[in-house]
Amino acid sequence: MEFIDYYKILELDKSAIQADIKKAYRKLARKYHPDLNPNDKSAQAKFQQINEANEVLSDPEKRKKYDKHGKDWEHAEQFEHAQRQQQQQTRRGFGGGRQQSYSGNFDNDTFSDFFEQMFGGGARSRGTGRSPQYKGQDFNAELQLNLSDVYSSKKHTLTVNRKNIRITIPAGVENGQTIKIKGHGGQGIQGGPNGDLLITFNIVNDTKFKREKENLYTTVEVDFYTALLGGEITVDTFTGKVKLNVKPETQPGTQIKLKGKGFPKYKKEGQFGDLYITYQIKMPTNLTPREQELFKELQKLRS
Amino acid sequence: MNLNDLIEIDELCIRYKVEHTFIRSLSESGLIEVISLEQKEYVHCDKITEFEKMHRLYHDLNINMEGLEAIQHLLNKLKELQKTNLKLQNRLNIYE
Repeated sequence: MEFIDYYKILELDKSAIQADIKKAYRKLARKYHPDLNPNDKSAQAKFQQINEANEVLSDPEKRKKYDKHGKDWEHAEQFEHAQRQQQQQTRRGFGGGRQQSYSGNFDNDTFSDFFEQMFGGGARSRGTGRSPQYKGQDFNAELQLNLSDVYSSKKHTLTVNRKNIRITIPAGVENGQTIKIKGHGGQGIQGGPNGDLLITFNIVNDTKFKREKENLYTTVEVDFYTALLGGEITVDTFTGKVKLNVKPETQPGTQIKLKGKGFPKYKKEGQFGDLYITYQIKMPTNLTPREQELFKELQKLRS
Repeated sequence: MNLNDLIEIDELCIRYKVEHTFIRSLSESGLIEVISLEQKEYVHCDKITEFEKMHRLYHDLNINMEGLEAIQHLLNKLKELQKTNLKLQNRLNIYE
């Protein structure tokens, strides 16, 4: 566990007075507040650091302890214990002195292990000076699924705060899409409505198809002679194989559309996008002298 | 509209320790929708997250009502841009 330089986080030097700390905290909080930086995890992490730094530096008792032990913080607890015994000090924990902490409907109560070890979990002045809450906290979760898993609607059981929630994820859900499960967030406070559970999907493509919304794309190799003279080929779709007639004189890069063979349309049961197939023509290699001769003849016919 | 989904403004004022004028100002600025039903005013429970956000910005970060309007406008723009960005990223996968 590494030492955290709270002064550096708040861009202050050690001689900073309370007014400087307050000013620096406000300035940085305005910059990194999660309400002003939606979907920005790095800003949220920075905001948590700022909150933690403020928690320590704006509290004279905590700051004193932090300044006293500095980088030798790992021995701080032992030292404190010995000192307490010596002075028969009965006071425990830290209280008061807290200036202000900004709040939010986000997980800003995550303090570092460094903080926990130096001050203990009970040292947070959680709740004081923060905006009152009535609605329960919204929970944000990320769910990783394979593309093949979201081809059909499936039931999933999620565990959120030790509670199992059974939800049906509709077919065709998109990468990065967020769905809201109403009332499955934190419990409302004093009769307030429960928070919501917001699930963002991270769809990993485990197939050879490329997807854009409800359409699928793939490339199929066609041999030179079939492309030139036409013929029948068998291609893979998402749900199985289909036979296709390749037209004579098909050019490389030709794209065909198989209607309704794409991905399910989100929340439109029974409706599907299209599958786009691009033909890649495979040229013959290692020609025999006879083949070369015949191709030369064909070339002459064309020139 | 289901009455159970509505929260009376008086209740909000008590719970969040705000004046009626604060909610009225939010409503006048178009930052929150206030529903009037039988001489009572309500906010839909789906809008509470938004209300809490405005409350935090106003009270915690000392941003005034004009500032909230500007921020909300920019956040809406940012949201749209994030949506577009995601859409384009997903589209880009076709060419990779």
